[in-house]
Amino acid sequence: MKLRIILFNALALTLFLSTSLTAQTMTGLEVVESVYNRTAPQDMQSVLTMTLINSRGNERQRTIHQYLRDFPDGERKIMFFAAPADVRNTAFMNWSYNDGNRDDDQWIYLPALKKVKRIASDSKGDNFMGSDFTYDDLGDRHPTEDIHKILRQEELDGEMVYVVESTSKDKDYMYSKTITWILPEKWYGKKREFYDEDGELLKILTVDGIQAYDKYWIITGMTMHNVQKDHRTTIRLTDIQVDQDISQDFFTERMMKRGIR
Amino acid sequence: MTHSPPLPPWLRFPKTILIVLTAVTIFFFLKMTANSRMETDLDEYMPKDHPAFVYSESAEDKYGIKDGIIIAIENPDGIYNPGTLQKIKDLTRELQDMPEIEKTDVMSLFTADNITGSEYGLDVRAFYNRVPTDSLALAELRTNVRSNDMVLGRVVSEDETVSLIISRIGDDTFSQEFYQRIVTLADDYSGPEKIYVAGRPIVEGTMALLGPKDMVRMVPIVIFVIILVLYLILRSFRNTLFTLLVVLFSVIWSFGLMAYLGIPIYAVSTMIPVMLIAIGVAYGIHLYSHLELFLQKNPQADARLAVSDLVHEMWKPVTIAAVTTMVGFVSLITSEVYPIKYFGLFSGFGVLVAMVFSLLMIPAAVLVFGLPRPRKKITSSTEDTAAQKFAHAFAARLLQRKYVTLGITALIVILAAWGTSRVWINSSFLDKFEKDSDIVRTDTFINQNFGGTSSLNVILDADSPDAFKQPEVLRLVDSLQTRVTRQPKVGDAFGLVDYLKRMNQVMHADDPAFHIIPDSPELIAQYLLLYEMSGDPENLWKVTDYDFQSANVTFQLKGDDSKTIQAAVAGVADLETEFKNLGITLNYAGSGYKALVFSGLILEGQIKSLVISLFLVVILLSLMFRSITAGLVGAIPITLTTLISFGVMGLFNIPLSTTTALISSIAIGIGIDYAVHFIDRYRIYARQTGDMELAIQKTMHHSGRAIVFNAIVVIAGFLVLLFSVFPPNRSLGALVSLNMFTSFLGTITLMVLVLESVNLFCKQTSSSGDCREKRSKS
Repeated sequence: MKLRIILFNALALTLFLSTSLTAQTMTGLEVVESVYNRTAPQDMQSVLTMTLINSRGNERQRTIHQYLRDFPDGERKIMFFAAPADVRNTAFMNWSYNDGNRDDDQWIYLPALKKVKRIASDSKGDNFMGSDFTYDDLGDRHPTEDIHKILRQEELDGEMVYVVESTSKDKDYMYSKTITWILPEKWYGKKREFYDEDGELLKILTVDGIQAYDKYWIITGMTMHNVQKDHRTTIRLTDIQVDQDISQDFFTERMMKRGIR
Repeated sequence: MTHSPPLPPWLRFPKTILIVLTAVTIFFFLKMTANSRMETDLDEYMPKDHPAFVYSESAEDKYGIKDGIIIAIENPDGIYNPGTLQKIKDLTRELQDMPEIEKTDVMSLFTADNITGSEYGLDVRAFYNRVPTDSLALAELRTNVRSNDMVLGRVVSEDETVSLIISRIGDDTFSQEFYQRIVTLADDYSGPEKIYVAGRPIVEGTMALLGPKDMVRMVPIVIFVIILVLYLILRSFRNTLFTLLVVLFSVIWSFGLMAYLGIPIYAVSTMIPVMLIAIGVAYGIHLYSHLELFLQKNPQADARLAVSDLVHEMWKPVTIAAVTTMVGFVSLITSEVYPIKYFGLFSGFGVLVAMVFSLLMIPAAVLVFGLPRPRKKITSSTEDTAAQKFAHAFAARLLQRKYVTLGITALIVILAAWGTSRVWINSSFLDKFEKDSDIVRTDTFINQNFGGTSSLNVILDADSPDAFKQPEVLRLVDSLQTRVTRQPKVGDAFGLVDYLKRMNQVMHADDPAFHIIPDSPELIAQYLLLYEMSGDPENLWKVTDYDFQSANVTFQLKGDDSKTIQAAVAGVADLETEFKNLGITLNYAGSGYKALVFSGLILEGQIKSLVISLFLVVILLSLMFRSITAGLVGAIPITLTTLISFGVMGLFNIPLSTTTALISSIAIGIGIDYAVHFIDRYRIYARQTGDMELAIQKTMHHSGRAIVFNAIVVIAGFLVLLFSVFPPNRSLGALVSLNMFTSFLGTITLMVLVLESVNLFCKQTSSSGDCREKRSKS
């Protein structure tokens, strides 16, 4: 899901080389920046399987074909529902912007209605497709928005990780803080805890799948567990293709109507 | 009469008896004070394995059905001004911050989403975040609310002067301290707006506070009046004291044993002392009354002699009365409701203990402290002769004009039977408050402006997944909602169809013509997906489930009384076949519905137990008096008292509730008591004299006197409750008094007449073979 601008790749590489030598002396900000600047493909397509599990153990599954690409001003993404059958070809398009002050643009296409509608929402804490992820959880939060502190280094699943606490500078942010277990060298978070406005543990994100595609490490499996509601969402990515040079014209209302090819 | 039977062996060490009894009582008292625990969670009262409760509980859990505390903010000039909107926001925030309330369980204009649509797109926004200050923004907010039927009439009143904040809380969250905080919070925000607090948790909480508080104030007065009247009747401080000690000790033993066994005190357990006072006082009165009569006849007798006679003559009727009463109470264990089972069991135990105490403690006290001080000889004898004359005259008059009594009784029975047919059960909490009390007025105010403060949840279960995405199913649900909402006391309905109709309208550029269920199941599925993506998905799981196989429709009711709930349930059941044809079954959930089922169970248990105890009483009395006729006659006061009790409730429109239903148990306790004492004494006199009329006259003087005393004492005491500020306590006082009165009157009139007409206890003893014959000759 991570997509970074090519420009950063060189920088990331140097950071990678320098930091791996001086790991002990890195600051929290440096660790988080290393993750933020991880090399990512310019475009990617994949099949996303989302499983929602409520506290009673009931499950719902959705299959989504997703396409995303970096644009100079941000990231664009189209998702087509493949299953369940009654929502097949329902499409959702999202344009996010590097300019943090600009809200995302979102469109929805309902095949039964044959209409594309633009969705405007004022709540940044909106859940992604009714899951336990918010749009924010899935996007990249710029490292300068938080104050980072390395709490400790410890072993997680046999690997040494940094435990970094990130506290929002914006007091009204939906999380008072997050704690992330970051794996050096591959530079991704294996686990993250989200604390609500009252400072209580709200959600735990666990990454359980990461695969190399070309020169990229792509997260292919993760689970978000809302511990307060005891609700879980699992996301799995399959059929991943990177840097296929998806056309810029793909991310339009016309394509939303066309459905899964 | 001079030679008396020897003193029974157990009374040889009277001091030891008094000391041991006091010691055990102290032990139980300590247990009681150390271990007693009040059960306040109403759910603990419900039978856990009853299908209706099991279903309701699981539905409540599944859909997060909780009772709501409703805070209403009224501003007669309208709510669309910065001040009122700020208060709505601040109150919402403060409620969300309370540890007892989950943040997402608070619903107000501040938290509600406004989903709107245009040709171009779909807009999901809060009605306001920052409080709007300029008139333009305020007008826009007003327009938004007016055009959104998800909030208009639900969160903001039609006339725009009242807005609600609803906080849903779990069953076990409510405490007095929490209630106080809510009330203080409301007070803090008052002016110029008026703040009202309502909702079932508040009503339940206030009731749990007010009932016992009122009792704590009234009970000492009740006991004081009983002491006073007892003293006036017994004319002896010591006799009054020991009569009361019998009652007090039996109450302590009952509650002490409950505490020892770790059984909590339920609300109905507070009826145990009521029963024991009404019944237990009788034992002392009968014993002292007998003692006094004995001493009148044998002024020279010493304590030993008097006690021997007392125990010899009275142990049998007291034991028979107590054992049958106990059986009557214990029959309540057939009830499905645990608090009622315990009530029966421990009332029965209390009666047994009171019997043992009166047969041990009262004679022992006479032996230890000597005979009661004799009254002034002259007044006593003249007065007593007067009493005796009156008793005899009354008996004679009764027998002469038996058809007057029988006629009046027949009339009363017919009237009572008609009244009984009108008795209705009410599980309402609100109806327990005065009509002009704050809580009722607040409730009425909110009911006038909104759908209703009470709710009924209808749960629809289909036989296959995705049923609630099918247009024909949803249309039927929609017509169900419309139909039932037409009832005058049903204000509103809310469910999945409301979300879908709203989405359909919004996606068609807010055209009201599309406020309908769409025709295509796919479109319905896509709307639901869209709602999940743009709204709060949690809301959906309050009205349907993951598989769309079941749904929850909430009806807002303008009353929590049984008639309103039953009417709504009946309205829903009208469509049962239509739903069945679509493979859907209907069930009900929510606290109002549970209370309805619960009071039905209590009543059922009570009636079952009344029938069983009546049956057992007849058998026991038949065995004890060795005559089936005696058994049947002995059942007369109980039957009459019960019938009149229910009849009066029907005639005066007093609904049956948990407490009022239990009062009929008094009919058993007292009715048996009076019947046994009277019949036993009558048997003795009938055998002695062989003259039926004389026997009745003498019995009237002996037992009739004690019965009158007992009735006067308890009635006087319980009439005090008529001055209570809590209506259920007033009904309690009135009904206990009524039951005492009818038991007393029924025993000394109707039962006496029947006793006379069946010619009991005479054949075998009278020399001429028939008392009646002898009487008619004389």
